Amino acid sequence: MAFNAHRLVRSRLGLAVALLTLCIVGPASADRSPVTPEQLKEYDAAFMAMVKKGDLLFHGDPTTIKQMGVNLSSTGMACAMCHPMASDTHPGSFPKFQASVGKFSTLRDMINWCIEKPNQGEQIDPESEAMKALETYIYWSNSGSVLDTGKY
Amino acid sequence: MSDEVDRERREMHKVLNPQGARPDQSMRITRRMFVHKALGTGVAVGAGVTGWFPIINVVSIANAAEMPFSFAWISDTHLYPKTVNTRFVDKATRAAKEVQAMQPAADFLIFGGDIAQLGRAEELELGNQILQEVKIKKYFIPGEHDWYFDMGDKWRKLYGAPNWTFDHKGVRFIGLDTISRGPDYWSATKMSAEERMDHMATLDGTVAGAWAGVGEDQIAWMQKVLSDWKKDAPVVIFSHNPLYEYYPPWNFWVRDWRQVNEALRPYTKVTNIHGHVHQPLYNEIGTLRSIGMLATSWPWPYAPEGVPKLTVPMIRVDPGDTYDGVGWGKLTDASGKVDTQYEMWGRKEVFAQSLSDSSLSHPEVLHARIADAGWFAKD
Repeated sequence: MAFNAHRLVRSRLGLAVALLTLCIVGPASADRSPVTPEQLKEYDAAFMAMVKKGDLLFHGDPTTIKQMGVNLSSTGMACAMCHPMASDTHPGSFPKFQASVGKFSTLRDMINWCIEKPNQGEQIDPESEAMKALETYIYWSNSGSVLDTGKY
Repeated sequence: MSDEVDRERREMHKVLNPQGARPDQSMRITRRMFVHKALGTGVAVGAGVTGWFPIINVVSIANAAEMPFSFAWISDTHLYPKTVNTRFVDKATRAAKEVQAMQPAADFLIFGGDIAQLGRAEELELGNQILQEVKIKKYFIPGEHDWYFDMGDKWRKLYGAPNWTFDHKGVRFIGLDTISRGPDYWSATKMSAEERMDHMATLDGTVAGAWAGVGEDQIAWMQKVLSDWKKDAPVVIFSHNPLYEYYPPWNFWVRDWRQVNEALRPYTKVTNIHGHVHQPLYNEIGTLRSIGMLATSWPWPYAPEGVPKLTVPMIRVDPGDTYDGVGWGKLTDASGKVDTQYEMWGRKEVFAQSLSDSSLSHPEVLHARIADAGWFAKD
């Protein structure tokens, strides 16, 4: 027992030393470098491509809607007709109890509720590209607004 | 509102209100109008001359009417063909029936523009057919949704001249066309009629630009129309867009509002009733008071900046209820007063009763859309 306990202490000590060493000197194959202007440009382009896709969906662009295989409305109404410039979407207030939905909701829940109820379309997969695009456009258009999670 | 916009408006207010002018002081506040005191602190428009915020479903306007009468306002029905959207058809029909059922009967109906959604003949005809329900005299002014598919051809055939004037029981009424003088945003990129209409129909689009305006020619016409009218006699002006600067990115204005206000300055009892905004609004600039009316189709949120300080906001509506936040307007003259009353369906209270019940409780910073940028002509 005494021997086993000694071994356990030794092994734990060894692990701690190994971890500490790793924290101080980093992994052997350290290849991280500061972000470059080119990378920033690339990241921004990826973001803005998603904003644009979301903008088109939000404004009911038939080509984009067809390409992405979604049915966001059957009334002729697009999201932007009630929410010009994504106004009155208040993405910074989610998640919260959403009275109209009748349950605790994320922004994606709210988007799907709007598609299904007022717009009489078909809900979309919350993890889909279309949902990410809509979410991205709404957040982007409200950039600079106060984050006020939970506000009615 | 940005500091710059605020400063500019204060300056403009000074120019247009050199002696702190207001709409005729004989205006009376009826017992149905709520009075909010001491909310005027820091008010940009009307600062120093107003200490009250009118609740505008009941605004009394002193006028020289010879006998009591009432008239009705319907606008912004945004009709698609019946096969696409029956809700808008149902709501337009309901408004028409309710106007026809008014007791005592209204003397006339004003249709304030945007009868159609995409300017198609089928939509304009559908609107005409629905409004056959209303047997009283009808006057029409156009909205941008009615016009930019065929540049007003079908609208003119159905409804006549886009601007007009008539006198009725001591009031001079003027209908203005604020939509047909938009800049040519379609020729350079060879847009189809459908594309031209689609850009115009997108409220937050960036391509059609500052399309709302009265135009020098029409301002001159309006001045001529008013030239034989007493300066203190009542004038009511109907327009699709508001005759002041509220929020240009959505054309919640006319771009030449300064000239319009300048032309109307000599007249002390001028009321502008307008559509386009799909929301109750109240504003005063000098002697001109403006009242924004409900749409029958759908409500719009207040813009992120520029809401007149004199406006008491409407309630936040339930988007799950197609009848919430929409309706029509009833304007009743009794014993020399004109009451403007919103007939909002689905709500007893038109106005926010607390800050939480107003969309203005969430300040917003918003950005113009980017996906239509490719439509601008290259230099």
